[in-house]
Amino acid sequence: MPLDTSTYSLALLRLDGRRWNELRRLHAQISTQAAADGSSYLEMGNTKVLCTVSGPHEGKAGGAGGGPRSTQAKIEVEISFAGFSGVERKKRQAKDKRTSEMSHTLTQSLAALLLTHLYPHSTITIHLSILSQDGSLLAACINAATLALIDAGIPMTDYLCACTTAAPPTSAETEAGGDPLLDLNGQEEQELPFLTVATVGKGHAVSVLIMESRVRMEKVEGMLAVGVEGCKRVREILDKVVKEHGKRFA
Amino acid sequence: MPISILPPSPQEVPSHTDRYVSDSDEEMADAGDNDFTSSNSHSIVTPGETITSDPQWMRGHGTYIPPNSTTIISTLAGTLQKTNKLLSVTPLRARYAPEIGDLVVGRIVNVQAKKWMVDIGAAQLASLPLSAINLPGGILRRRTAVDELNIRTFFSEGDLLVAEVQMLHQDGGASLHTRSLKYGKLRNGLFTSLAGAGGGGAKRNGSGGVVRSRRQAFTLQTTAGEIDIVLGVNGYIFVSKHTITAGDEKDASITRLEESVSETLYSSENDVVPKDLMREIVRVGTLIRGLVLCSRSVDEEMVVRCYEVAVEMEAEENVMGDVLVGQGAKSIVENILLRIESGV
Repeated sequence: MPLDTSTYSLALLRLDGRRWNELRRLHAQISTQAAADGSSYLEMGNTKVLCTVSGPHEGKAGGAGGGPRSTQAKIEVEISFAGFSGVERKKRQAKDKRTSEMSHTLTQSLAALLLTHLYPHSTITIHLSILSQDGSLLAACINAATLALIDAGIPMTDYLCACTTAAPPTSAETEAGGDPLLDLNGQEEQELPFLTVATVGKGHAVSVLIMESRVRMEKVEGMLAVGVEGCKRVREILDKVVKEHGKRFA
Repeated sequence: MPISILPPSPQEVPSHTDRYVSDSDEEMADAGDNDFTSSNSHSIVTPGETITSDPQWMRGHGTYIPPNSTTIISTLAGTLQKTNKLLSVTPLRARYAPEIGDLVVGRIVNVQAKKWMVDIGAAQLASLPLSAINLPGGILRRRTAVDELNIRTFFSEGDLLVAEVQMLHQDGGASLHTRSLKYGKLRNGLFTSLAGAGGGGAKRNGSGGVVRSRRQAFTLQTTAGEIDIVLGVNGYIFVSKHTITAGDEKDASITRLEESVSETLYSSENDVVPKDLMREIVRVGTLIRGLVLCSRSVDEEMVVRCYEVAVEMEAEENVMGDVLVGQGAKSIVENILLRIESGV
């Protein structure tokens, strides 16, 4: 077992030496690709994501379908995995269920976030390239997409920031369990039940909440509370990245 | 229980905050331009940032007011602008937003029954109706059904053109017109997009780009001949061999004038462009791209001065014998700008 729960209960230090409420190094850049309308590069620990946004531009084939032309911009999210991103080098199918669920989640949450009514009949295409996977993948994608959309100058109500939390590891002596873990890496994600949460702005407005594993019900509240606080911290970091970028133009 | 989230370990998180937090409680001076965030010109507003909660201000582009409140919140990362009591946020980077009267360079994307759809780098394709172009054979000619059938003889897919924004639709789309001899099909030259795939070539605060100015289409005198330069506000530019437009000729009557041009007006064939002229065309195109990379505004004066200095520098290099190879457009223009600024 990589996550040695008995040691954790003694020192309360995780495998990578973090405490329960500690984020990994979050490094981000915006305007990384000059040719795109908006772009960003984001690292959460060893999870690395590159995001480009093109648009708003005229949608493919316009209203050729014959339906009523939309009054809102359409959002398309494409996610691609680099062959070397995971532990094993394997080819992902184009229609991976996991990938399409991730892109669906992003599409839905961004549709609520962006002021799409300002761009009728147009499409905003977001392309995410995953360069390295080490846990919190969806959270990294959400954060990268937010930054790239800001770079593209597409109006949004606030930042959409995400992070993950896991149920506290239980051991024999601490049956009650400790504190939930924040911002999981790949190993921890495999060991513990976890959820991904994304919030809009500084408040408690949860926009994305996904959990794929089973967990005791009474633990969810604590996990969520930690996740929301983590998102606030992520927002501060992303906001700083944008402000730093803005200084270059001042 | 209050939860505290630790920052990532090599700590570098806090430090920025306070300065940007807009003190909405602070009383607004009635002059209205010495308070909140933008007073510090080095800071930008970011999405979700409260600009003001004073109800005396009106919200403009790039801001919104959440339901049941009077707080104006930014939706973009950019600089705050105040026009009387109107607050708006200009983004650092965004696609081109058409405005009536803008001179734009565009490319035909598709041809429909009575109009063309033109890519001008905006959120939507602009339309160019058949009724908004100069038909060959004089201004007084009526548009006929035959013209509709022959629509591809005027412009077809992929053709470049220079036009003016005539009208904006409710949904933000634009209608163009080319009803002037200055406008029309472009050929014999080089098209350059100043910001990659249309990422807002127009001048914004602090970033380089084309500025709206009196003259955006002009002729440059070079050693190899005259060059026409069209600076589209949308960040598309076209540099080409000078064509004698009818306007330059003696004052013929308007109708005669149209007739004289009509044969060549919609031609898609390039003329023979001499090699040395091609070189100058590419040089001008590169210089303009370099100006944008140096975050300078592009206008006639700037382009002409840069070109002159560039030619001068090349001559010096030829004499001195040390030709700097492998320089990018940016570093060349940086050198030129240094020289302009020190020399004047």
